[in-house]
Amino acid sequence: MSEEQVTVIKNKRKKFAEGPNFTEKKEYRPENVHETGLEFVGHEISDDGKVMNQFLHYDQLYTIRHGWNSRFFKGLLEGKIWGTRCPICGDTWVPVRTHCWNLDCNLAKTDWIEMPLKAKIHTWTIAGWSGRSSLKRLPIVLIYAVIEGSKVAIANELHCIDPWDVEFGMPLKIVFKPENERIGAVTDFHFEPDDDWSPSPTNEEKERIKKMIEPVYEWVKTMK
Amino acid sequence: MGFNMSRKICFVGGATTPFDYGPTGFESIEGGAAECIRETREDIPDFSLRDIDLMIYSHFSVHFGHQLCSEWIIHDHLGLVGVPQYRVENGGNTGGSALYAAVLAVMSGHHDVVGIVGWETMDSVTQSQGSEFIALASDIRYELMVGGIYPIYYAAMANKWMKDNNVTEEDVATIGAKNRNNAMDNPKAQWYRNEHKYITVDDVMNSRLISYPIKKYDCCLMSRGVAFALVCSEDYAKKVNPDGYVTIDGIGLSSCTIRAGDRLNFPGWTNRYGSNYPEMTEFGACRNSAEQAYKMAGINDPLKDIDFGEIHDAFSTSEAQIYKALGLADENNISQFLHDESTHMHGEIPMNPGGGLMGYGHPVGATGIMSAIECYYQLSGLIPKKHNSKKSEVPDVKCGIVNSHAGTGTSISNFIFRRH
Repeated sequence: MSEEQVTVIKNKRKKFAEGPNFTEKKEYRPENVHETGLEFVGHEISDDGKVMNQFLHYDQLYTIRHGWNSRFFKGLLEGKIWGTRCPICGDTWVPVRTHCWNLDCNLAKTDWIEMPLKAKIHTWTIAGWSGRSSLKRLPIVLIYAVIEGSKVAIANELHCIDPWDVEFGMPLKIVFKPENERIGAVTDFHFEPDDDWSPSPTNEEKERIKKMIEPVYEWVKTMK
Repeated sequence: MGFNMSRKICFVGGATTPFDYGPTGFESIEGGAAECIRETREDIPDFSLRDIDLMIYSHFSVHFGHQLCSEWIIHDHLGLVGVPQYRVENGGNTGGSALYAAVLAVMSGHHDVVGIVGWETMDSVTQSQGSEFIALASDIRYELMVGGIYPIYYAAMANKWMKDNNVTEEDVATIGAKNRNNAMDNPKAQWYRNEHKYITVDDVMNSRLISYPIKKYDCCLMSRGVAFALVCSEDYAKKVNPDGYVTIDGIGLSSCTIRAGDRLNFPGWTNRYGSNYPEMTEFGACRNSAEQAYKMAGINDPLKDIDFGEIHDAFSTSEAQIYKALGLADENNISQFLHDESTHMHGEIPMNPGGGLMGYGHPVGATGIMSAIECYYQLSGLIPKKHNSKKSEVPDVKCGIVNSHAGTGTSISNFIFRRH
């Protein structure tokens, strides 16, 4: 291939966007996390010798490339909640949409806007069981809340409240972890009751919920 | 949407392996598929594997097996090399979506005899790890790490739904007890194979808290299991199962948001059903897909026209929410509908006589197929043969509904089956 031909091909290349250059890199993996790949680590055989099980271990590091959603997650590191807004219909969302959901807006690209750190509970639950990585934090008050101005609700935890005191529609504030503990994930923030809110007096249902949760507190105490 | 109903679509046979959660692992997935087909051939001996002209595989998560394209293992094990095949994956609605695909394939006229094999091997990991795997079908960027697993999302939706509809925990607990007790007549059911006891509403109420207002016995089971079903043209149905075949007269498939919080104010719904629907409480995709299936099958009053159903009771609360989405009750009478035990064996429209997900089990890719098979057994008079007795047989049935459901209501299908 001559030099001239190579030049022609280079000029035709369309790149759409310049590739990012990652300069700020942080690792906070626990010491026991190792990517071992696929590895058989044991087996068992039934006493009649007819059935065998084999143990396969697999541990893999994933890169979640946030791409056009990056501003939201980077915002968490800075203690900010970013939303997006359609320039045509004005609908606003957290979680964000980079293109409008309204079919008449024909996937209009949305604008970023900083959202107020205020919200209202839409619905709630008290988890007494969860995925492996969350068990020690039980019981967890998980709520769906609408951040002021958003058209949708976002899930997160509600802290600083006795679980039985949670109410539909209660006003909330968004509180971030200390800056040095943030990782750019939704766990960087949680909801807390608004300063002006106070719980209603106890009642039969609150007492019943309290009783339902008691064993969860006991169970968590026994976890290593 | 137009339907060419010149071709009737038929369901002529099917079977499942026993559903269970390890460490039994009593068969391999390909062995299980083979046994399901052998059982089907006992019911309809004129059916030959040579007649199959398309295989659709129904499997949810490669995380459970650590095997990509495990359908390839099953397909050649069945001796079907050369026969076209593909896999369908659509969360909890994988089985329903595979059935939908099979119906479309026959309806198109391009295929005549379509086999469906569904399976899941959820006992390859611990229950809590399994819950987290399933939760990978939620939006992991926003929901997984905030304590989110499906029972928690469903509990949050149900908490508001129950308040808005005046439904109590005892009301929904009747469903948790009903489906497990129905499974006591079904030897392949996980509940029958393990706990094996009749339970009461009190047992459900006293079971451990999973996520308020949902308790352990309001939740379905994690399972290993395989299922096979055969969908075909009417010509073929008349050939292999002239007396027992069932027609699939209506199908519907619809979709909703992945994150439950996003369905507030979604234009796709407000355009169809007006504002404040489906809220975070109703299953819009269930209502929408039921409407499609009802229209196609000429169902005007579902409560009168449908005799029974096999529906997706991932949680007792969601089964109650599904009743409403199917149009069996509305916000004014859903509470009474539950009090009346309308969906128990003695009720107006028994639901999940086969045990459902809570009694039979929920090996995701096999689940919707299992529901369709149980519906077929009822309509073709096979219950006394397949279950232990006639106790779980709905008498004089002509029409049943099959429902398959995914995500937080993210994808839902409905099918109307009729005795021919």
